[in-house]
Amino acid sequence: MSERPPRSGTRVTTEPVRFSFDGREYVGQRGDTLASALLAHGVTLLGRSVKYRRRRGLLAVGPEEPNALVTVGETPLVIPNVPAPQLVLRDGLVARSQNRWPSLKFDVAAMLQAGGGFFGAGFYYKTFIWPSWRTYEGLIRNLAGLGEAPGAAALPPPSVEHLSCDVLVGGGGAAGLSAALAAARAGARVVLCEREPELGGELDFEGAALDGKGAADWIRAVRAELQSHGARVLTDATVIGGSDGLVIVHQVPGGLAGRDAMFRIRPRRFVIAMGAIERPIAFEENDRPGVMLLGAAERLLARYGVVAGQRPLLFGNHDRLYAAAARLIEGGIRPVGVVDTRPSATTERATVARHRSVLERAAVPCFARHAVLAVNGRGRVRAATIAALGATGGTRIVECDSVLVSGGWSPSVHAGLHEGGERRYAEGSGAFIAGAQPGWRLSAGAANGTLELAAVVAEGFAAGERAAREAGAARGVGTAPVGAGDAEPRLVPFWRSPAPLAAEKRQFVDLQNDVTVADLRQALAEGFIDIEHVKRYTTLGVGTEQGRTGSVLGAAIIAELKGETLATVGASRTRPPYHPLTLAAIAGHRVGQQLRVRRRTPLHEWHEANGGVLEPAEFWMRTRYYRTNGIDAYTAGIAEAHRVRTHGGVVDGSTLGKIEVAGEDAARYLDRLYLSKASTIKVGRSKYMVNLREDGMVLDDGIVLRLAEDRFLATTGSGHAEHMLAHFEHYRDTEWSGADVALANVTEAWGVIVAAGPASREALGTALGPEWIGRVAALAHMEFAEGPYRGGELRLLRASFSGELAYELHCRPGQAVGLWQSLVAAGLPPYGLEALDILRVEKGYLVGSEMNGQTTPADLGMDGLLKLGNPCVGRALLDRPAFHAASRPKLVGLRAADGKSVILGGAHITRPNAPARSLGYITSSAFSPALGEWIALALVARSDAGDGTSLVARDPLRGRDVAVRVTAPVHFDPGAQRMNS
Amino acid sequence: MNRLVCPFCGARELEEFLFRKTLPEEGASEYEAIYERTNRLDDSLEHWQHVHGCRAWLEVRRNPSTGAVLEVRMIGGGRS
Repeated sequence: MSERPPRSGTRVTTEPVRFSFDGREYVGQRGDTLASALLAHGVTLLGRSVKYRRRRGLLAVGPEEPNALVTVGETPLVIPNVPAPQLVLRDGLVARSQNRWPSLKFDVAAMLQAGGGFFGAGFYYKTFIWPSWRTYEGLIRNLAGLGEAPGAAALPPPSVEHLSCDVLVGGGGAAGLSAALAAARAGARVVLCEREPELGGELDFEGAALDGKGAADWIRAVRAELQSHGARVLTDATVIGGSDGLVIVHQVPGGLAGRDAMFRIRPRRFVIAMGAIERPIAFEENDRPGVMLLGAAERLLARYGVVAGQRPLLFGNHDRLYAAAARLIEGGIRPVGVVDTRPSATTERATVARHRSVLERAAVPCFARHAVLAVNGRGRVRAATIAALGATGGTRIVECDSVLVSGGWSPSVHAGLHEGGERRYAEGSGAFIAGAQPGWRLSAGAANGTLELAAVVAEGFAAGERAAREAGAARGVGTAPVGAGDAEPRLVPFWRSPAPLAAEKRQFVDLQNDVTVADLRQALAEGFIDIEHVKRYTTLGVGTEQGRTGSVLGAAIIAELKGETLATVGASRTRPPYHPLTLAAIAGHRVGQQLRVRRRTPLHEWHEANGGVLEPAEFWMRTRYYRTNGIDAYTAGIAEAHRVRTHGGVVDGSTLGKIEVAGEDAARYLDRLYLSKASTIKVGRSKYMVNLREDGMVLDDGIVLRLAEDRFLATTGSGHAEHMLAHFEHYRDTEWSGADVALANVTEAWGVIVAAGPASREALGTALGPEWIGRVAALAHMEFAEGPYRGGELRLLRASFSGELAYELHCRPGQAVGLWQSLVAAGLPPYGLEALDILRVEKGYLVGSEMNGQTTPADLGMDGLLKLGNPCVGRALLDRPAFHAASRPKLVGLRAADGKSVILGGAHITRPNAPARSLGYITSSAFSPALGEWIALALVARSDAGDGTSLVARDPLRGRDVAVRVTAPVHFDPGAQRMNS
Repeated sequence: MNRLVCPFCGARELEEFLFRKTLPEEGASEYEAIYERTNRLDDSLEHWQHVHGCRAWLEVRRNPSTGAVLEVRMIGGGRS
């Protein structure tokens, strides 16, 4: 590492910062970016291109950089695709180049391609098709893609901040600062977002003066004034998208994810002042390290004191070339020439003449109406071939170490393209600027196609004032700043240098995606005529860079090839986000517990303390089985289910959805929501009822209890209460608005314990005490009793989801543990979901697997309920003929033909001789301890669902085909004697 | 469209609301209301609930092609 004198610039201090790149240690200066520090060390090879693996250096200084993307960190905790000119050095930063193996200087894939020439557009689609794309996919994926995906993530969750303001200004350059100043003076609440770590935009290299001050002093003064008005200034903060009055801003300090903040800002008015991005001109070998945007070289010099090339050749199509060349000379650089594509007459102008005299004194030749045809040199630029335009004369070789190119500027209008925002082609600047916009968005400055500083400042100030007025701010704004800087560039659009057809495959349009003029020509020849189709076929303008440098250039070249104008071709639409985001930044705080609530039942702690294995089920944590009953869910579930059938047990049913329905019209209202009538239920009794969707499919089921003449408790499936409440409320407030019905979700107001099994009645008597013994004994099936219990209330419902004699106990949550313990003490051991499922499959009871939104009551065997003819929601459409076709599913039971094979949920049902045609599938299955074999419920086409039919359950995923026999869905105790005992 | 103005609660983020359905054309049969709905480009009448707010059911008239919300009103006089 050689000692160098410290550089000076507007962004760097002399404090050293150590970092490493591709395993080598370097020292940069505080404020340096990775790109500026590496260039200062003479490192110009910063990456390889994604497709051809060509050597690439820095093209741009900004998020538009297509080549120098690096991976930061050590595997697996990496952050890929960070643009090196955005990455501010921090101590100990570890970065490496991408798209190369084994090293940047020597890449195997580049060697492989050296002999094979270039892959044209659609190469992969056309080549790797036999026998199928999958054959090649793995290999190609290894070579393809940008960077290394993180193998793990250790980024802290980003903060998310919601802001509202009167005026949001996107962009902190001359236009944005002027806009914010005017708005703040007018009394508006202002937020200003600047993408860079510092305010000022291009002011720090343009050599501008504002209000008689140097740029740096003016920026400081404006910042101070903004703060005195209470304006909020966010730096490192990029507008990544937004519409409908909401603007999303992503703040990434130092250009590296990890300390991100997301801002969701709702401004009354949004001033888009995000400047413009310089674009290159396509010529042969224009991707060589050493070919750089002119503005990038100026930024490197002014901000970091880095000289991109000691002997650059400048190439462009506007007046700025001369001002820039003069500044480079002042900075101690010796340009070898200025190549201007415009005829010489256009360069005769006072401001240009002043700069040209500087060039003349330094003996820098100017070539008007010339173009750079190609650059020479492999590892980097050693010379350029130039030629006069429109003449048949010869070419000339100019020795140089870099080519600084500028083909004009593309306004950053991305934030103006959503919510119907349009852009239009502005003939003069050869650029697309924001067109018709929703009323809350304005644009100003370079983002609006205005490039001369005095005009930019005036336009920004006027836009800020207008925005503030429209937002209701009325104070005076004083006088606008006066700016003086580079003159109007007087650009004449020029997109690519002349080239023979064969050389077009080395005229790069989109460097990040290796899209060349030849690719565009080929896409058009193959019929991809629309700009959006060309984009997708050639990948023009995709990737991290999103066509910031290449998209308009590509569109212009397409226009040339098609013989149309750029205005008619248009540019492809950009979509948010403007720059790559981590998924963590998108998720924000919506992770873990914040993503999805986990509800606990009142018995949660008891389950945990007593061997319960809890799992999430819908929104709830539920006990799957108790460790004390077996080593896994399968073993324990069978043991628990067996015990319920032979003796009894208790299960936590608190997750049961419970909605109270009260009011004068409650009964009639429920009649219309259920397939059977609620109005016929007697007080103190309950009924199993089913809801339909509007289209006739079964929505949910549950037991409805009539608590009083005008009061019901409707139970729903676990986790369905919220949805069902909304469903109930919808009908109350729309179809039958005015009905006297009040609804309340009381799910969490009651703990529910189910006591089931032949011993349950006796155990209940013991547990509940003498005052309840008589009532327990007197309860008939589906009857309930209510009364005081140990100072609280208890509702005791005799109903069964297991087919056994069973009771549901509804109590206040605070009493659930005590009640549960008494029941356990009275001889009813706990069982979990696994056992619950076995018991209900044995009985053919339904859950969400069967009521899956695609099954009608007839499909599920509810013919009895249908016959009642209650005209409820969804009933009318059940008469559609298609619902009665032989292909409709029917709920059946299945058993293995051999009485012992395993049959599992998800297996498809076919006829034995037609294995390819699925007749349905298994919805639930279990090993039945009561029957000693596997049993299943299935939905099978009615044509093949007759009792005793021989079918096959095919399960190719688990490699199991089992001959099965159709049975009734009720596998156990079909006469329901146990439940009614 | 990322906010709705609830007649009771004011402008709220869309995530507080639950979309239920697009209303059928005037005079549509039950079958048509479900299976043969017209997607109208410029004028869609919908039912939304301010489910994480006051729970009111709202009739929202909006322009799906621009996202503009044209009108929000409360449905019926349901109590809660």
